[in-house]
Amino acid sequence: MNTTKRTMMMKLSASILLIGLFASCTSTTVDEFRQGETGIESDESVVILGRRQASDYETRSEFVECVGDRMQRGDNAISVVPEQVFVDAMFPWFEPRTAPLRTRDLEQLMAEDVVARKMNDFGIRYIVWVDGFTETSGRTGSISCTVGPAGGGCFGFGTWEDDANFDARVWDVGSLRNVGTINADATGQSYLPALVVPIPLIARVEANACSRLATQLKDFVNGS
Amino acid sequence: MKVLKITQKAILGRIVVLFWAGLLTACGTSNVVIEGSFPTPNINKIPLSVAVYYDDALRDFAYMEYSETGREEINIESGLSHISLFDAVLPAMFDQVISVNSLEDAASQDVDAVFAPAIEEFQLALPAKTKLDVYEVWIKYNMRLLTSEGDYIADWVLTSYGKTPIETFRSVEAGINEAAVVALRDLASSFSLSFAQVPEVRDWLSNL
Repeated sequence: MNTTKRTMMMKLSASILLIGLFASCTSTTVDEFRQGETGIESDESVVILGRRQASDYETRSEFVECVGDRMQRGDNAISVVPEQVFVDAMFPWFEPRTAPLRTRDLEQLMAEDVVARKMNDFGIRYIVWVDGFTETSGRTGSISCTVGPAGGGCFGFGTWEDDANFDARVWDVGSLRNVGTINADATGQSYLPALVVPIPLIARVEANACSRLATQLKDFVNGS
Repeated sequence: MKVLKITQKAILGRIVVLFWAGLLTACGTSNVVIEGSFPTPNINKIPLSVAVYYDDALRDFAYMEYSETGREEINIESGLSHISLFDAVLPAMFDQVISVNSLEDAASQDVDAVFAPAIEEFQLALPAKTKLDVYEVWIKYNMRLLTSEGDYIADWVLTSYGKTPIETFRSVEAGINEAAVVALRDLASSFSLSFAQVPEVRDWLSNL
């Protein structure tokens, strides 16, 4: 009986710890601004590209990959061409210095035979430009760790806030127009209490922003 | 008890050795050899046969980053990566490309022009010094285009820039390599797209 109780308590503690680890409080807001009709055929695909023109930050390729992966899953899944595969195949037209910044630039780019042919080979219907980053602010608290002959341990408390803000602009390659913009903003407070062992209670803001942005983008591109 | 004492001594001795080894490694210069793969550009070929000459300064190009106290900190070797970049880009730009070992060798080849790139300047910006969350690399080149007899056709300056964000569990060396590869791709894109627009090159092409 005692063993069963202990096992249950351990399971409960582990569950609480896991919930704390993976579901620390995060709030996410998604805004959509539609400028044109959308829809996609089964033989057409989408490419998601990160903007890398800003001087002080870069849209992380891991975030772009996360959005692409999630758009390819579940109901109404969309075929997504991986960013690096597309950029390498289109080289040198989609590098940070040469990538089109406006739809007018895309129009000029599509006038190049080699670009139009490659775009057609991939079956690209929409180009989604993702631009944004995650900022950490309000770091407070301190944790000190010591190691001695008898063992080691940490004591203290730390907390910080993460804010992930990402814009996704959708360009229709068929009409060469910007058909809409979706913004995902996720904020969350993370905590790191340490009582011998540090217990990270991390707010997964970027993962939440990725998930919500991908869901919204999938619906947007499908025209629903 | 005696055995336990000896074991403790041995462990302590090993910890001291490891501590000093770590300290000495931390004080040494780290070496970064730039490595990356470069895609072939999707551009229309110019109907020219070109010889390419990589001099020793380009082949062995290395940049030394010094610490704020003037100590040698990071040695970056990028000569071979530049050669592999040009070897990927040039055959996509011109009908025929051959590599020569000297400018004199080019005279015996039946080519329209000789291309000789040179690195003039290399700059590195580390997050620890700039307080930005990115590694940055700037490279300034002098691109020279000569006739097979060695006469001047064009000589122009090209700059390239690459940056990459800092990431958890990514070493400084990997960050520098990533930023340098982005800078090399930037060089390839601006060189391949702007080549025919360089005024002297444009005039020379129109007279062919």
